[in-house]
Amino acid sequence: MTEKKEYRGSIHQWQKDLMLAWYEQLDQAADTGSPATVSMMISGNCVELLEGFGAVPLYPEVNALQLAIRHQSLDPILAAEDLGYATDNCAYVKADVGCIVKGITPTGGKLPTPTLILCNFVGCNTYLKWFEHLAKLQQAPLYVIDVPFMRANEPSRSDLEYVIKQLQETVKKLEQLTGSKFDYDRFRQAVACSSRTEELWSRIKHLARRSPSPFDAYFDAITLMGPLYVYRARPEGVEFFEAALAELQAKADAHKGVYEQEHFRLVMEGPPPYPYFRTFRDMFAKWQACAVASTYSTVGGLWEFGFRHDPDNPFESVAMHMIAQNVTNRNFLQRYEQIRRYIEEWNADGLIIHFVKSCRLFSAGQGDMRDYFTKQLGVPTLYIESDLEDPRYFAEAQTKNRIDAFFEALEHSKTATPVREET
Amino acid sequence: MREWKQSRPGAKVIAYFPVYAPVELIHAAGMLPVSLYGAGDRLDIQHADARFGSFICSIVKTTLEMGLTGHLEPFDGFLFSTICDSARNLCFVMRRNLPAMYVDFLRLPHNPSSPAAALFLAEEYRRILFELERLGACKVHDDAVRHSITVYNHHRALIRKLYEVRTRYPEKVSTGELYQLIRAGSSLPVEEHTAQLETALAQFCSRSVKKRDSIRIVVEGSFCEQPPLTLIQLIEDAGCYIVDDDFVIGQSWFEGDVPTEGDPLLSLATSYLDRSVYSSVRHDFRKPRWDGLVQKVRRSKADAVLFLIAKFCEPAYFDYVPYKQELERAGIPHLQLEFEEKSFTFDRLRTEIETFVESLIFD
Amino acid sequence: MRIAAGVDVGSTQTKAVVVSDNGGVKVLARALVDTGANVQRAAERAFDMCCHEAGIHSGDVGFVVGTGYGRYKIAFGNTQMTEITCHAKGASFLCPGTRTVIDMGGQDSKAISVGANGEVLDFVMNDKCAAGTGRFLANSAEVMSISLDEVGPLSLKAKHPVKIATVCTVFVESDILSYLAQGKTAEDILGGVHIAIAKRTLSLARRLNIEPEIAMTGGVARNVGMVWALEEVLGRKMLVSPDAQFIGAVGAALFALEKLDQSFESGIWRGDHAVSGGH
Repeated sequence: MTEKKEYRGSIHQWQKDLMLAWYEQLDQAADTGSPATVSMMISGNCVELLEGFGAVPLYPEVNALQLAIRHQSLDPILAAEDLGYATDNCAYVKADVGCIVKGITPTGGKLPTPTLILCNFVGCNTYLKWFEHLAKLQQAPLYVIDVPFMRANEPSRSDLEYVIKQLQETVKKLEQLTGSKFDYDRFRQAVACSSRTEELWSRIKHLARRSPSPFDAYFDAITLMGPLYVYRARPEGVEFFEAALAELQAKADAHKGVYEQEHFRLVMEGPPPYPYFRTFRDMFAKWQACAVASTYSTVGGLWEFGFRHDPDNPFESVAMHMIAQNVTNRNFLQRYEQIRRYIEEWNADGLIIHFVKSCRLFSAGQGDMRDYFTKQLGVPTLYIESDLEDPRYFAEAQTKNRIDAFFEALEHSKTATPVREET
Repeated sequence: MREWKQSRPGAKVIAYFPVYAPVELIHAAGMLPVSLYGAGDRLDIQHADARFGSFICSIVKTTLEMGLTGHLEPFDGFLFSTICDSARNLCFVMRRNLPAMYVDFLRLPHNPSSPAAALFLAEEYRRILFELERLGACKVHDDAVRHSITVYNHHRALIRKLYEVRTRYPEKVSTGELYQLIRAGSSLPVEEHTAQLETALAQFCSRSVKKRDSIRIVVEGSFCEQPPLTLIQLIEDAGCYIVDDDFVIGQSWFEGDVPTEGDPLLSLATSYLDRSVYSSVRHDFRKPRWDGLVQKVRRSKADAVLFLIAKFCEPAYFDYVPYKQELERAGIPHLQLEFEEKSFTFDRLRTEIETFVESLIFD
Repeated sequence: MRIAAGVDVGSTQTKAVVVSDNGGVKVLARALVDTGANVQRAAERAFDMCCHEAGIHSGDVGFVVGTGYGRYKIAFGNTQMTEITCHAKGASFLCPGTRTVIDMGGQDSKAISVGANGEVLDFVMNDKCAAGTGRFLANSAEVMSISLDEVGPLSLKAKHPVKIATVCTVFVESDILSYLAQGKTAEDILGGVHIAIAKRTLSLARRLNIEPEIAMTGGVARNVGMVWALEEVLGRKMLVSPDAQFIGAVGAALFALEKLDQSFESGIWRGDHAVSGGH
């Protein structure tokens, strides 16, 4: 059996502690009503704004994925289906609604009814419905920040102004609901923190360009995403990512990869099958295939190509991040471009497209993506299918079969061609 | 449509993916707006399946199939909007595969509570108008837009009247008939269709038909991919009067006339935000659409609701839950059925509908 | 003379093939058994039968490659490879010039883009439902009370094939019953069923570049109606080897032959004792 060297430095435990601390804050908020909590979507989230109120984010998506990883997602999904949700509805929504209905939480602690349900609509129509349903279910106030979809390569001035105005309306709304005044300075400091965290995260992502990569930019990056979304705008976040970068930098400098030998470098597209996270990872570990880049790790923000929040233009840069700098609000062709850059600049051998039944934003049209990469660019591509949250939609043997066939072919082509020069 | 183009050399045809599109702008630019409802059961999906996988509604695939097999050749442009994730991805896949066509994406606002939304939408309309001007090498003045608004106001008013007639006297006009009449308008010049509607309205009103002992139902959920006509007729044959529906809802999107005073683009924008019908693909958190459904049922004095949902239609599936909850609270019976635009046998559906009707009759 | 073998454990049938290279690669023998519940036993039986057919001892076989969904259960196998890789190899050998393989088996169907040396360039699979597989045809046959062997020839006699909208095995049954109730002939119904499957299979295959020659493999290749329907929809003739069912096993055997070349302990372990030496 090939040795699986997972990324389990001290950062792993630290990340767990940070997430537990966050859940504890939420538990406290459920009991005492303080601090204020705001439900938000991960994609293009404006967590910086919350800092201006000392409010804590509630991320229904994180709850859903935590449940799936702990193999607890099926019960709430079934409870939601009893209410009338379809088998073809996004399982994230079903898991979350089911939890609220059944009073389940990932850690067993309490989750508060949010002070505000803030739907940051960044392209995902499911988000809108989800939060409308939550508002009805939890009887909490709802506000939708309508972020114009990136139909072109750059946002227009009117796009930015529209979002900035809505951010300011959100501030007013939160002032009403919390009874506190928005602390503009704290907000600016939060934006400054984000900017530093992003710089660190980007450098971490760029470490994967080395050969061997010191971490798996899909499986390990996903683990690091938790602190990125909860603590990005706080000093604890900056501290954490400083340590993470140092640890990974040291690994990279010592030429230590994830596996004994980095046999294959991959770009991964699509969310993982959370209920089978470990099993799925093992299927790639068998072939010593390491992900060097992934699109899913950029749902919250796309920072490896240079974008940073700007504390001198806080509202504008928050708006820019929400509109243009996260994979969710970017159009399908922009995603092709993002992946193409990864393949070229991160020097990958192939692309894995993971179609997930629940998520049409990610998955609708991935056949065309496959067409582009195989027929137009000649990139070895594997197309596999399952779901991100619902454990009933994973066919282990079939998935393994496709992955094995893909690597058999890739291995064959590697031995048939001259060895690529390693950096 | 080719005839229309031939008789007007240089004229353009712009397709739009259902539901709502600012047809007034297309009309004002001297172009023909056509609402494309996929290929129904007339085209086999041979190429689009490779691009869009399973769990995606048929209309997305048949629309792409038409594009990939050259059936969209007479069209000069295609306009998509923010109705759902699958349709949005389709827009960009079409852009890649039909590079010669003008393919655009209209961002309709999801936060009507913001004063900034109207300005944003007016700006979107301005942008689209600019693209149409470029495509047609013409200039469109405000007055032309106002004129188009007037024309479409009249058209929509007729559709509302026809719907009213059917609601009050469903024995006089079957939904099968009304549906074909209205749907024909999706590819006709509006002036021609208006004339047809006027004739039909006079005809319907003058009919005298015996009323049957049928259940009055509202059909909800078929706002984009359309059910086969056979299915609509089957529902009526099973003992129902369809007294309201959201078939081809894009044709009668506004609740009243769009004002023509002032900036016409702003007028269209504020009408979209404040004076449009509720729908699963329009989001306004100030006014829950499930209240809209209950009001619709009461207004049309319906006995029950039939949710007729296209297979894999995500927005409809989601809304079903709060709709169902509110109907149950209001004591209104309902049934949910799935359909695909491409169906040739309807036995299962017929059985379910007949059972439902029986359960209502023998209450 | 070097001798190697391939064993393909499918969901319904297990195939074994023995090949030799004595100045030229030849298929010595082939064998087929029903897989049944005991995969390990099926593999052993097929292998033994095949060796017997070839007139050799199992110990003469220098290397065994297992493939198919049961490949990990072949205790006497030296290594395993996916059936995708083996089908590409086998089709290339039995149908020279193959650049695309369309495989329709008992439980899954796939299309493979093949290179000049039988290597896999790209592939697509339908392994999550019965559409386009032997199971679909078997179900349809059962609903119509016709034997599976007859469905192909009958479908060729269709005058007005019916329109089948779904390829879901469950739902197509009610479609078939509906058409039977309408008085449609078995020929017309089966004609429609075959065309629907062909269209669906090719729809899947179009994710690849379908390039000639196109070889059809798998159990369903023995169905003349299916071959015809596919050729109709494709608009060209396909290559169909009389050994279509064994292509996976042939490919596995060819890989086994290649492995035999490389320095390796040659010996087959059956159970817990070595059958032949060679170390």
